[in-house]
Amino acid sequence: MASVTISGLSKSYTGDGAAALSTLDLVIGDNQFVTLLGPSGCGKTTTLRLIAGYMNPDTGTIAVDGRVVSSKEHVVPPESRGMGMVFQNYAVWPHKTVVETVVFGLKVRKTPAARAREQVAHALGLVNLSGLENRLPGELSGGQQQRVALARSLVVEPDILLLDEPLSNLDAKLRDRMRTELKQLQRRTGITFIYVTHDQSEALALSDQIAVMNGGKLQQYGPPAEIYARPANRMVADFMGHINFLPGRITSAANGRCQVMLLDRLPLEAELPAGLATGDAVDVAVRPENVILSREGAATSGLLGQVSERTFLGNLIEYDVTLQAGPSLRVQTHPGSSFAAGESVVVSFEPTAISVFAAGTTEKIEG
Amino acid sequence: MPARAPRFRIRLDQVVMAAAVVALIVLIVLPLGSLFLGSVTTEQGLTLDNFHEALTGRLYLQAIANSLILGAWTGLFSVLIGLPLAWAVSRTNVPAKALITLTATLAYLSPPFLTAIAFVNLFGPNSGLINKLMRDVLGLPFLTFDIFTMKGLVLVTVLHTFPFVFLLAASALKSVDASYEEAAQILGASKWRTAFSITAPLVTPAILSGTLLAFVNSIALFGSQAIIGLPGRVVTLPTRIYALFDSPEGYGLASALSLVFILVTVAALFLQRSFLARRSFVTLSGKGSRPQLVNLGPGRWLLFGFAVLVFILAIVLPYSALIAVSFSKSWGLDFWKNLTLYNYRFILFEYDVTKRAILNSLFLATLAALLAVTIGAVIGWIELRSKIPGRKLLDYVALVPLGLPGIVMAVALIQFWLKMPIALYGTLTILLLAYTARYIPLGVRAANASLRQVDPSLEESARILGAGWGMTMREVTLPLIRPGLFAGWLLVFVPSIQELSASILLFSSSSMTLAVAVYNLYENGYTEPVAALSIINIIIIGAAIWLAHWLGGRETTRAGGLGAT
Repeated sequence: MASVTISGLSKSYTGDGAAALSTLDLVIGDNQFVTLLGPSGCGKTTTLRLIAGYMNPDTGTIAVDGRVVSSKEHVVPPESRGMGMVFQNYAVWPHKTVVETVVFGLKVRKTPAARAREQVAHALGLVNLSGLENRLPGELSGGQQQRVALARSLVVEPDILLLDEPLSNLDAKLRDRMRTELKQLQRRTGITFIYVTHDQSEALALSDQIAVMNGGKLQQYGPPAEIYARPANRMVADFMGHINFLPGRITSAANGRCQVMLLDRLPLEAELPAGLATGDAVDVAVRPENVILSREGAATSGLLGQVSERTFLGNLIEYDVTLQAGPSLRVQTHPGSSFAAGESVVVSFEPTAISVFAAGTTEKIEG
Repeated sequence: MPARAPRFRIRLDQVVMAAAVVALIVLIVLPLGSLFLGSVTTEQGLTLDNFHEALTGRLYLQAIANSLILGAWTGLFSVLIGLPLAWAVSRTNVPAKALITLTATLAYLSPPFLTAIAFVNLFGPNSGLINKLMRDVLGLPFLTFDIFTMKGLVLVTVLHTFPFVFLLAASALKSVDASYEEAAQILGASKWRTAFSITAPLVTPAILSGTLLAFVNSIALFGSQAIIGLPGRVVTLPTRIYALFDSPEGYGLASALSLVFILVTVAALFLQRSFLARRSFVTLSGKGSRPQLVNLGPGRWLLFGFAVLVFILAIVLPYSALIAVSFSKSWGLDFWKNLTLYNYRFILFEYDVTKRAILNSLFLATLAALLAVTIGAVIGWIELRSKIPGRKLLDYVALVPLGLPGIVMAVALIQFWLKMPIALYGTLTILLLAYTARYIPLGVRAANASLRQVDPSLEESARILGAGWGMTMREVTLPLIRPGLFAGWLLVFVPSIQELSASILLFSSSSMTLAVAVYNLYENGYTEPVAALSIINIIIIGAAIWLAHWLGGRETTRAGGLGAT
C-alpha cells in the first residue's frame, strides 16, 4: 500500500498564467480514503490526472512512498506507476467482453493463465458481477459497466486507486448502493483511494479525509466532521451545504474565544477567527439545522422574526424566516414542530454550532 | 512497483510518429518546395520570368480565364441542379427519393472522363448519334448540340459536381432543428416567410460550401477538359500545363502556372472552410425533432420530372451510350444491324496493354489507399491525442493536397524527383507517391472522424493498467477505429482507381494505368474499343466498391453489435 506526497504542485493549461492548479501541498496517508472535493473547475480532476501521470506538472512534485514520480523534468508514464483508475464515463472498452476487459491488466503483467483466471473470478465476485463474464458493455447497465471498470482496476491489486467522479452517471438509488460498496471495498482491500467528486454529501459519507478545493487552491484538508462543523473559510462553509450568514461585531475577545453582538441585538459566544480583534465586523455562519425556532414568549432570548415560507420536505420542514432586523434566513426543523406561514417566531441558535468569519470576505465559488 | 523507465530509450510511438512526419515531408513538403524553386530558377539563376509569362502571355491568361469561367458556370449549375434535388429529398413528399439519392451517388462515383467520352459519342458535332438523328433523320438541325464547346464542357462537368451541393445541402436541410422553424411559425410567419427568413440563412453556408467544392473539383478535372475542351479549342489550366510538358523547356513555366492554379484553388477552399465553420454553430442542435415534410400536391410530379431528367442526363445517357458503342462494329444510326463482341475480345485478349493497366491500377489503388489511411491515422492520432508542439501545423500540411489539382501534384513530383539521384520518373513508385499524397487528406479525415468517437479515457485506462503505447494501440484504439479506417480506405480506393489528372504526366508504358489506357485509346481514335474498356473500367470500380461494402458491412455489423458506450 502507499502514501502520496504532493508538494508545490502547479499546472496551467493556457500558458497565460491562469492556473488550473496552483502550489498544492497535500499528504495522503497509506490506506486512506481521501476525497478531492470542489466545484467544477476547482482543479480536482487536474490533480488526479497529475497523480496518474497523464500530465506533466509546471512546478512541484508528486512522490509515492517517498519516491518522486512526477516533476517538471520527468514524469513516470502511467503504465509504470502501478496505480488503478476508474473514469467518470467508466471507459469500458466497447469491443471487449467483461472477462477480456478485466484480464487485460493481468495480460500486461504476463500473469500465468490459470492464476489470471482465478484472479479475474475473484475480482468479479468482489463487485458482484459473476455470471456476466461473456457480456459486452453494450449488454450491461450503467451500474454494471461501473463495476466492470472497478474490477478491471482492482484485479491488478494497485497500491493506489484513483476515482474520477465514478458515481456521477448513475441514478440516485444505484449511487447510494455503490457508495456503500466502495467504502467497504476500500476497507477490505486496504488500497489507498483518491476520490474526486463535486458532491459534498458523497464526500462526507465516504472519506477519511476531505480536501476542499476552489479556483485551483486547497481550501481545507481534514476529516468530514471537522470540514462540516468547522469550515476554514466562507467558501468551505458555503460549499458543504446551505448556510446562513448574518452580520455582527466582536465586542470582546480573550483566550481564542470572543463575544459577538449579532445584528446589534443578540450576544453570542464563538471561537475567535485568526487576525480579528474587538470591534471588527464579522459574519456569523449557522447551518439551517442549527437554528432553533420557538413561539413568541416561549424563549427568553432570541431574534424576532416572521415565517415567510414553509416547505414540507417529508423528513423535515424548511422555513424561510424574515427577521425584524432585516435579513432572512433558512431554518430546518423536525416535522413534529410546525409553524404556519405568517406566524411570528423567536429565532435562537445552537451555541456550539456557530462559526465566525471576517465580514464580506467571501471567496467566490467558481463554477 | 515497476522500475522507472530509462529516459533515453527509443520508443515505438516516437518511431511511428517520426515516420509519419517524414512521409508528409517527402510526399508533400519537398515536392511543393521543388515546384516553387522550379518556377523561379533557370540555369542562369533566380528569375521571375516564368510568372511574368504565366500572368501576361495570351495563351496562359486564356487558360486561367477559361478555368475560372468553367468553374463559375459549373458552380452555378451545380446549385441549380443540386439544391432543388436536396430540398426535394429532405423536405418534400416527392416520390422516388431513393432514385434521387442514387443519381447523386452514381454521378459522383462515375469517372468524369468516361462521361465525357460517352457524351462525345452522343453529341460530337459530326458523328454524335443524337446530332446525326436530329440533323440527318429528323431534319431538325437547330436541335443539334456541339459538345466541343465551353457549354459542352460545363454540361459534362456539372454532371459530376452537382452531388457536392446536393450532399451538403441535403444534410444541412435535414439537420436544421424543426423547432427553429416551428418557433417562427408560432409567431405568425407563413411557410414561405419561414423558409426565407429562418431556413435559408441557416443552410446558405452549406450551399455555398458545396458550390465552392464543386468549383474546385471542376477546374481540376484533366480528363473531361482534354477530351472535350481541346477539340473545341477551350484550353484550361490543366490542359495548358499538360501541353507545356512536351519539352523540358516548358517545365519552369508549367511550375509557375501550377502555382497560379494552386492560388485559385486555395482561395476557393479557404472561403469554403470559413463558410463551413460558420455553419457548424448555427445548426445541428443534435436532439431536435425532424422537420415536417412539405406537401407539394401535384407539384411534386414536376419536381419528380426534374429528378428523372437529371437521372437520364447523368446516368442513363452516358452509360447506355458507352454500352451501345462497346457492342458496335461502327458507331452510328444503324446500330442494331452491326452488333458485335469483337471490341471486348480485342480489349481483353488482343490489346496487351489492358491486363497490365488493370493490374497496375488495382495494385496502386489498393496500396495508395492503405498508405493514405495509415499515415492519416498516425497524423490524426498525433493531432488529437499527443501534446507534441506543432501538431496543428502537421494537420494543416496533411490537408494541403486538397488545394493541389492532380496535374499540379504531378508537376511537383516531377520537379522534385528529377533532381533526386533515384530515377523514379515513369515508375509505378512515383504514381504510388502521387496517389498517396493526393488522397492523404481523405485518410486524415476518416481517421480523425473515427478517433473523435473514441474517448481518450479508453486509451488512458489501458495505460494506467500498465499497457505501453503499442499495446494500447493494438488492443484498444485500432480495433475501435477499424470500421472508420476501412471506410477511409474505400474513400481513397475509388478515386485512385480512376485517377487520370496526375497519372497523365507520370505514366510510362510499363506503369500504364486503367484511366490512362482509356485516354490513350481515345486519343488514337479507337472509338468502339474505348467504350469496351470504359465498361470494363466501370465494372472493376463497381466490383471493388461492392466488395468493400460487403466487407465493410460485416465490419460495421460486428462493431454495431458491440454497442457504443
